[in-house]
This record gives sequence, C-alpha cells and structure tokens, in this order.
Amino acid sequence: MIIMTARLENFFNVKSFCVVGASTTPNKPGNVVAYNFINSFPGKTYLVNPRGGELYGKKLYPSILDVEDEIDAACIIVPAKYAPQALEQCGEKGIKNIIVTTGGFSEIGEEGIVLQNQMYEIMKKYNLNVIGPNCLGIYSPALGIDTMFLPDSKLKRPKSGPVSIFTQSGAFGAAFIDQLSGLGSGQWVSKFISYGNASDINETDSLEYIGEDSDTKMIIIYLEDFKDGRKFMEIAREISLKKPLMGIKANRTETGAKAGASHTAALSSNDAIVDDLLDEAGILRVITWDELADCVLAFGTQPLPLGDRVAIITDGGGAGVMASDMVSDCNLKLAEFSPDVQKKLDETFPIFYSTGNPIDLTGSATAEDYRDAFEAVYNDPNVDAIINLNIPCIPDLDINDYVKYTSEFAQRKKKPFLTALIGGEEGTKATNKLLAEDIPVFPSPGRAVRALGLLTDYTKYLRKHGVDPKSIHVED
Amino acid sequence: MNNRELFEKTKQENRSWLLEHEAKQVLQNMNILIPPSKLVLNEEEAIESAKEFGFPVVLKLMSKDVMHKTDSGAVVIDLSNEQEVKETYIDFMRRFENIEIAGVLVEKMVKKGLELIIGTSTDSTFGPVILFGVGGVLVEAIKDVVFRMCPVTKEQALGAIGEIKAKILLEGFRGQPKVNKDQLADLIVKISQLAWENREYVTEMDINPIIANEDGIFPVDARIILK
Repeated sequence: MIIMTARLENFFNVKSFCVVGASTTPNKPGNVVAYNFINSFPGKTYLVNPRGGELYGKKLYPSILDVEDEIDAACIIVPAKYAPQALEQCGEKGIKNIIVTTGGFSEIGEEGIVLQNQMYEIMKKYNLNVIGPNCLGIYSPALGIDTMFLPDSKLKRPKSGPVSIFTQSGAFGAAFIDQLSGLGSGQWVSKFISYGNASDINETDSLEYIGEDSDTKMIIIYLEDFKDGRKFMEIAREISLKKPLMGIKANRTETGAKAGASHTAALSSNDAIVDDLLDEAGILRVITWDELADCVLAFGTQPLPLGDRVAIITDGGGAGVMASDMVSDCNLKLAEFSPDVQKKLDETFPIFYSTGNPIDLTGSATAEDYRDAFEAVYNDPNVDAIINLNIPCIPDLDINDYVKYTSEFAQRKKKPFLTALIGGEEGTKATNKLLAEDIPVFPSPGRAVRALGLLTDYTKYLRKHGVDPKSIHVED
Repeated sequence: MNNRELFEKTKQENRSWLLEHEAKQVLQNMNILIPPSKLVLNEEEAIESAKEFGFPVVLKLMSKDVMHKTDSGAVVIDLSNEQEVKETYIDFMRRFENIEIAGVLVEKMVKKGLELIIGTSTDSTFGPVILFGVGGVLVEAIKDVVFRMCPVTKEQALGAIGEIKAKILLEGFRGQPKVNKDQLADLIVKISQLAWENREYVTEMDINPIIANEDGIFPVDARIILK
C-alpha cells in the first residue's frame, strides 16, 4: 500500500494562516475567525480586508497579494459574489489550502451553481485543496485552529479530547460542538471538520485524515449523502478495526427503490443498501441525535466490554424490567452470577431484596447496599458490564454517598459501568455531579443499555475480524 | 458467444433484457452450474430433450414480449411424460400464437428445496451492488436480504450469508438438507464479478429462485437487464 498524506493534513498541520475578509465589526463572521486565530493559533496569522487598517493590533492587508510571506492555508469569509476573486488571489499567492465558509453556492440553486462552477475552474487552475463552501470549516483546540465563525459567547468550544467529528451539515456541527462543550468536563474534541457543499474535500477525505490521525481515538460522523461512497466504505473497513466509528446517516426516507424490472431493483432502496454497507464497514449507525452524545460518553469514558453478559442493579423493579428488555433488544444477555458471587449477594442482603439479575435493592436501598452490590458483581468473571440504575427519590438513600460509590466504580475502567439516574431535581443534581467528572450517566435505563449495546456491538465486530477489543483505547 | 457478445447482440436487437436461455448462457460462461436445459423449436425436439434430461421437466416460453413468465402462464412445471411435454408445447403455440417466440426452453426440473435469491442492481451512490437473501415469489414481501458492493470477496459473501434473518433455514431446518455455504458464497462472488465486470452493460440482475436442495445449489431462473 502506498502511504499518502491525506489532503486534510495540509489544513491542520500549518504554520501560517490567512483570514480573508477579516471584519472590524464585532461578532461578524470575519471578525470572529480573525479573533479566534489571533487568540489561539500558535503560528503566524495574516488578516486581509480591502479597507486596510488594523484589527486586534494586527495589520489588515488590503489584498492577499500584499502579504510578502508564504502562507500555508487561508479561510475566505466574504460574500459569495466576491469569493471567486478571493480564491483566485489565494491561487496567485500560492496558498494551496483554502476554507470557504461562505454560503450562497450550489445549495441555493441556479445562481449559486454558476458561482460554484467558477470556483471549480479556479481550483483546477491552481490545483487547490478546498473545504466548503457553505460550512463551518475546521476546529482543533489543541492546534489552536478555529474557523467557526460564531462567537464563543454563542457557540461554546469544547476543550481538547479524543473525539474527532466530520459533518456535512454545518448547523448540526455547530449544535453538536456546542453540546459537547457542555457535556461533562467538556474535554472531548480532537479535530472537527465541517465540509459543507463538498466542492472538493468531502466525507471520504475527512475519514481518511482523521482515521490516520493518532490524536483521534474515536470518530463521529454526520452524513446526508456520499460523494465517494465506494471509497468511503473501503477506508471505513480499515479504520474501524483501529478506532470506533459511529454516527448518523440521515436522509433515510429518500426513495431510491423504483419499480424496476427486477425484484432486486425493487428492494434496492438507497437506505437499505447504506444500512448494510455501514454495518459491514464497522460503522455503528445511530438514528437519533441523543444517541450521539451517549456514544461520546460511553466510548469516551469506558473500556470496551469483553463479552455480552450484563449485570443490572436497581432500586426499582420497573426500571430493572425495562433495562432487561433493552438488554435483549440490544443482543446482550443478562449475566448469570457465579456461585460464590450469588452466595455473597444472598448473605449480604435482606430476604426481600431480589438477588438474581437484575439485583433489585428495592425502595429500602441505601448507598452502601449499592456499593456492596457493585463490589460483588464488578469482580464476577461471569459479568462483562454493569448497568447501575437509580431512582433517587427513595427515603434511605444518601445521594452524595451513592454518587461517590458510582464515581469510584466507573473510574475503575476494567469493565463498562454505565449509570441511569431517573427522576427530577435530586436525580438531576446527582447527574450533574457525576457528569462533571466524566462519569457516564443517562436519563433513562433504555439509553444506558443502548449505549452499552453499541460498545458491545463494536467488541463483536472487532472479534469477528480477529481484533482484540483490549487493543482499542479511547478513554485515557 | 461470450458474455460481451451476448449483451451486444441483445442491444442490437433493441431488447433491454436477455431471454432466460441467454441469461443462463451468461451464467454458464461464468462457470456457474445451471440445470440441464435446451432451447427447442418443435415438439419432437422438446420430447427428445426431456428424454435426454430425464423426467420431470419444465417448459418455459422464450419471448421478448413475455418478461414475467409465471404471471403469463408461460412456465409449466412437473411434466412427467412425453405426452405432457407434447401437450404443453402445443398449448404454448396456441396461446402465444400472436407474439414473436424465440423458442421453448426445456429444463430438467430441480427438486424442491430452499429458495434463495442473488441479484444485482446499480445504486446511484455505490454503483453495482449485490443482494443475497430469501428468494422465491414472495421475495419483495419478505424482504430478508443483505446488500454488499460489487465485487465481493469470498469472506464478504460468507459474511452476507450469515446476516439474513432466516439464516437458521440454511442450517437444515426441520429436516431440510443443510445448505453448502461455501458453494453459495462462490456463487455470490461470481455473480458480483459478473455485475462488476459488465457494469457498462448490466443494470439489474435477478437470479431467482436459486434452489438449494440435497443435490446442490441451482439457479432456476435468471433475468439480466441491460442499461
């Protein structure tokens, strides 16, 4: 195999960056991006604005061509009609890697298509790498790169972490990035790529780059369609054996199937095909938005399970039954405790607790009961993962102690330990405390088990392809 | 004729799909084992072929005007003697006297077994894709199928076989013979290669049903649709 540098490497591995359209009006996109680079980027930043002058103590060059130094990459943030000219000047200046965040191209129809075609011609002429147009561009907190043109007061930035994300939709990207900033410690993101109309750099380039990026430990994707679907699947097959790859392929109801002359054509809806191909390539497909953040929490903080046997601990029968149902829905199994663990449980707990699986500590549960149950099942070789359910409104449970024990076990990281806290204010407070330490907590039993199901699906996929799940580390 | 020539000939005749005997020739050119069959032009030839293959046999009318043969009564199965072959042949000629007929295909009837489908289609995103699943006339209702991109490796084919919901049927369900997955995977690989190598010609393909019984795996009907 020929090792080639992924084209996106040229955007992230840069020493100088130029913001074309650096605006002096606060909170305008061109102003925000200029601010981002001046504040965070360790390399040299150049700002371009035809009016000249100064911004944040930096010279505003009237034109890109006025800059004497060499520039590795640029971000163009000018109205669409001026974008081709700006791109042309980048080409003339010898800047090869350009992000065009501006919208108003192929996504708006006829007029925009004409503009985008002009851009294509310039890209070809100068052999440029282009991200966009109509996108947020790229973000990497560790590298100090941030072309997201929404101010920090509106769009909070997550800190550096193991997750890389690429998205077709900029709005999805903005919202998800904002969400991750508020998820637990907020330390999640390695590389973020929003490629918009994919006039050049697309989903396959993104996957190729972050798949090989050693700082990226897990990958989240949001796609509506593929520009290079065959290659995407081929690359995904290799990458998914090295790091978990998951996400949303939306636009599921697009009707690809037509009344063809064959049964095969009639069955070939694009989504049926996509679903099977994602599965085969080891991409864990989720459907809803909330599952994505759940994935980040589960994969980002817990080890992969080494089997599919789950222990459930609960203080409420209903929650335990619903979790058990979800266990079978997710192709997991309820663990059968080993004899000495079962004996320990039977001896520890009063007769009216249920010591089978799920272990039901009932409304009489104390935090210490939870601790004892955790200790017993965590070390049971017949248990591969633990689901810890709590309805905190019961009388004798000290919620602070419960939080302490939960945190302690979730940080052992020998087996996945996922918690669901179900209830109102008391539950929310406990949830926030746990999340602040990046302890995975979910608002319902189903979501906790579903997250475990995805972890286990990945273990199964790896094993099927001869990869030891112990070789995969997302969490530190 | 090789496959390319068969496709070219079909196009020259302004047809968008291959007649079954032509489609089976394509499969045979890929070294795929098909039930013994022969295209005949009169009832004497029909009887002669039937005797050569051994009864029971199936008669199928080959005409560019009859694509969905079963729906048009252009397939008669389980003919167990010369008399039945002769009567069916004459009946075909009477019922289809107003359409252009390429001949009648006499085919040795394959014993009952598990009905499977292998098909290909052309997806706007992924190009040629192959489908494997539970076949027969109910295929579109049951929808127990798996897709892969063409061409597939044998490992991928085996993976696909293991993914249908009704995979238990392949294991010798309720006294049925076990299906030889190795042979089935080889068949999937060959069909995927056929679709991939001829993607400039072929847009859709249905090999349905493929009957898996104690004697082996047999493509019983084949439909190849050109671009």
